[in-house]
Amino acid sequence: MKRDWDIIVVGGGPAGIFAALEAVKSGASVLLFERKREMGVPVRCGEAVGKVDFCSYMDVDPRWISSEVNTFIMVLPNGKEVKLKSNIYEGYIINRDLFEYDMAARAAEQGTCIRMRCNVRELLKNAAGEICGVKVEERGELQEYYAKVLIAADGVESRLARQAEIDSVLKMKDIEPCVQATVSGVDIPEKALYLYVGTCYAPGGYAWVFPKANRCANVGLGINGKYSEKNRNAESYLRDFLKRFFPDAAVQRYIAAGVPVTTNLKVLSSPNFLIAGDAGHMVNPLNGGGITHAIKSGILAGKAAGEACKKPEKMQAFFDHYEKSIYRNFGKNHESQYRIKELVYQMSDEEYNRIGEEVLKIDIRKRSFLAVFRQVVKQHPGFLADVMRAFAGI
Amino acid sequence: MLLLSGHCDQCGTCIAVCPADALMLTESLLSIDHQACTLCGLCVNICPIGALELKNEA
Repeated sequence: MKRDWDIIVVGGGPAGIFAALEAVKSGASVLLFERKREMGVPVRCGEAVGKVDFCSYMDVDPRWISSEVNTFIMVLPNGKEVKLKSNIYEGYIINRDLFEYDMAARAAEQGTCIRMRCNVRELLKNAAGEICGVKVEERGELQEYYAKVLIAADGVESRLARQAEIDSVLKMKDIEPCVQATVSGVDIPEKALYLYVGTCYAPGGYAWVFPKANRCANVGLGINGKYSEKNRNAESYLRDFLKRFFPDAAVQRYIAAGVPVTTNLKVLSSPNFLIAGDAGHMVNPLNGGGITHAIKSGILAGKAAGEACKKPEKMQAFFDHYEKSIYRNFGKNHESQYRIKELVYQMSDEEYNRIGEEVLKIDIRKRSFLAVFRQVVKQHPGFLADVMRAFAGI
Repeated sequence: MLLLSGHCDQCGTCIAVCPADALMLTESLLSIDHQACTLCGLCVNICPIGALELKNEA
C-alpha cells in the first residue's frame, strides 16, 4: 500500500467525499479513510435538505429522494398548527445512505482511494513540528501514512482538530443530544416539515416529523442540557413523544446523534491541515441542518488542498481564502442564527403559544418566517437587529 | 470510574464534549482512556441514550 499521498481525507461523510471529489479534479493523489465498515450507514440524520441548494452541488439520482416537502408547519405546545407557506421551504427528505454510498462510488471512480475500517488515531508531525501524516489503526495494526495536506472531515466526534492545537471541544450548551426513530405505517397529512416547539416536547431544542416515502417518517428530537429536566436524556423525551403522537407506529430505525449548535470554529486551518463539515461545527445552530454545509465546505477544502499541493509556497493564502469563503457562505449567518437560538430556546411554552396565536391571525399567504419572528421581536425588541441579519442571509 | 452501562450507539456526542480527550471511537466501539479521564461527568450528562455511567470503584 502506497504511503505517500498528496492529500489525505479523514472521514467518508458528505464533507470528506466532496473534498475528495474536488481534490482529485486538481490532479492530486487522494486517500480517504473511513472508520466504519459501510459508507452511508448508520444514518445519523433527519435527512431534510433544501431542494435548490442540494441540487446545485451534483447530479441528483432520483433514488436519493424519498419525498418532497413544500410546507413548514410549526406545532405549538398547545397542539395548534401554524402553517407557513413559501417556496423557500421546498425541500427533499433524502435517503442519505444511498446518497453517500453513490457519491463515494463516484469519488472512487474519479480516482480517490477509499480505505474502509480505518481508525485514524493521531496526526503525525515532522521534526519541524509540522503536520505531515496520520497514524491509522487498520484491522488492529498501526500504520503510518503521509500527505502534503490533511483534511479533517471526521465529524462531530473529531479529535484531529485538538491534535492540531485548535480548540474544538464543545460546551454542553452548544451541542444537542438527539435521537430519531424512523417509523413506518404512519399517515402524515401534509407534505410538510413538522417542527414541534416548546419545553413540553423538547426543552432547549425541538422535535421533528419529516415524512418519507411509503408512509414512513423520521421522528426525532434534540434537547439542551441547560433546559432539560435533571436525569432525563433525549431518548426519554422521544419515548414520550412517540407514545403521544405515534403510539402504533413500528420503529424500523433508531439512532442517536450529537448536533453542534454553535458558531463555526474560528480557526479552520493550520499548516498542511484543513477542517470541514461537522468537525468544524458547520451546522446551522438554529435548525441543526448541516448536510449542505458539509458538502460546500468539503468542496472548498478539496479545492484549497489541491491548489496548495500545486503551489505549496502559497498554501497560507489558499487556506486563508478557504476560511474566508466559509465565513462568507454561512459562518457569518450562523453567528446571527446562534443569537436567535439563544433567544427562542429559552422561551416558555406560554410565550410560544402566545406568539403562535398572533401569527395565526395573519393571512396564510403572508405568513412567512419573517412574520413569525416579527412576533418574537415584538416581545424581545433587542433582538431585532440579529433577526434581520439572519434573514438577510437566508 | 467511567463505564459503559448500556448499549452505546457510537454517535460520538460524548467525545465532542470531553475536555480530557479520554474518549475515542474505533470501528465498532467506544474506548475509554481511564488514565486521561477526570471523572467530570460531562459525557454521562450529554449521552442521548444514557449509556455512560460514573461508578465508584469497588
